[in-house]
Amino acid sequence: MTVLVFAVLYAPLFVSLLFSLVEIKRGVIQWDTLSFSPYLTLWSNASVISALSNTAQVAVVSVVIACLLAVALALYTESDGAIGRRVIELVIYLPFLMPPIVTGLALLVASAETGVPRGLATIVVGHAVFVLAVAYRLVLTRLQSLPPSQVQASADLGASRWQTLRLVLLPHLASAVMTGAVLALTLSFDETLISTFLAGDQMTLPLRLWAMMRVGFTPEVNALVTLVLLVSIALAVVVAWRMKPDDMGEE
Amino acid sequence: MTRSLTRWLLFGVIAVPPALFILAPLGSFMLLSLFHSEKSVIIRAISLDNYRAFFGNWTYFGTYLGTLWLCLQVTALAVVLGYPVAWFIWRQKGGTRYLLLLLAVIPLFMSYIVKLYTLRAILGLNGLLNQALIGIGVLDKPSQAFLFNQTAVLVTMVVIYLPFVILPVFLSLERVPRSLLLASTDLGAGGGDTFRRVVFPLSLPGTVGGALFAFVLALGDFITPQMVGGTTGFTIGRVIYSQFGLAFNWPFGAAMAAVLFVTALIGIALAGYAASRQRV
Repeated sequence: MTVLVFAVLYAPLFVSLLFSLVEIKRGVIQWDTLSFSPYLTLWSNASVISALSNTAQVAVVSVVIACLLAVALALYTESDGAIGRRVIELVIYLPFLMPPIVTGLALLVASAETGVPRGLATIVVGHAVFVLAVAYRLVLTRLQSLPPSQVQASADLGASRWQTLRLVLLPHLASAVMTGAVLALTLSFDETLISTFLAGDQMTLPLRLWAMMRVGFTPEVNALVTLVLLVSIALAVVVAWRMKPDDMGEE
Repeated sequence: MTRSLTRWLLFGVIAVPPALFILAPLGSFMLLSLFHSEKSVIIRAISLDNYRAFFGNWTYFGTYLGTLWLCLQVTALAVVLGYPVAWFIWRQKGGTRYLLLLLAVIPLFMSYIVKLYTLRAILGLNGLLNQALIGIGVLDKPSQAFLFNQTAVLVTMVVIYLPFVILPVFLSLERVPRSLLLASTDLGAGGGDTFRRVVFPLSLPGTVGGALFAFVLALGDFITPQMVGGTTGFTIGRVIYSQFGLAFNWPFGAAMAAVLFVTALIGIALAGYAASRQRV
């Protein structure tokens, strides 16, 4: 039964892969057009490539912002006597837990009210806010796993709070931040619903793909999507490797 | 500077980004829902008219209820299909387990739009499903019943949101301590009994949490119904989206989205309550 479910889940992937290699006319597969050339010619499709580059820019910027904020917020909420810890956590998780349409609309209304023009910057804000929850959660869990004795030992050995931060806490968090960053990048790359409301003239890849859906996808587009998928899988494997429970052993 | 003053200052500083980029937009959008729109001009007078128009009008309220029902169905199906898969993965040992888990999660990395497109191609008149059914003799000629209706939306959503359920179910199963399983066997319970009385109840809160997560995601999805729903597959997400597009009635759209927001909040609260009951 698991096999059946997997088959259903993977059907779209394989169909897309198929479409990237052959052409289909009226539901009939033209096997004689089988070739890998779409994987090469796609790089000359200007509109798709510009959307891809927009998406990459947005992803990197929003992830950097989200990770920085995540570390700062996690350090804050875990510190002694932090005020408003629960409230802040709730607000952080909100954009991820709400239907993306609500998050997107809220930011759209805010941008309209404050007169900020919609464009890549607003998309960055939308993605950062959405992805913050994931990064925060990962960093927080990692921060909570640090034995307090290490921080105390550091103070005992004469380190200032700043040194403790730099030499003990941040290195411990580094791998969690990396994991969070990779996860956030893949989330941002495919983010469609929020971006719909926040985009101006420049489109991200998912939006460009949505616009192209009426016309139909050329093999080149399917090739691009397959490539993005492969890269995402590679990243996911790396992340999965690092998250193996050798440092999570609790019974 | 007293300690508590420092603390308040720190709180003030650290709270700015979340407040500015999350709370304030949410607030402004709830506020907009109380305003009015006449001939594309927003009249800033507080009134509950939008909400009255929504709840009083069966076209809108009915669509909303229909969407709730659809998303419940999607969630239920996803759990029914996803739980056995997660359980199967959990039963594997070591490397196989994580490999299978990875395989289960990979579909999430495929572009959502292209996934929709290929599913539409599969379900369509010339699509692979029809061809397969004709090939094995179940159908004589291609059927139109698979696409551009509410069922198509249901099926597509299940395919898209299923991986979102498998992962949390697996995680909740993984949290069941081995010691409990061993104790159950020691006390003489067979595999089925152990599952029924130990594993399943313990995994339920996490499962409910994962299911509600998928439910909330499905609630706001307006692209899927637009692409595969045709004229009968309508969700409240599509209606809201059109208020910000062609219908151009932002306050009304904001009101409906606010209703959606509260619905999701209730869902999250329920999930949180369910998850907190897992005391292992």
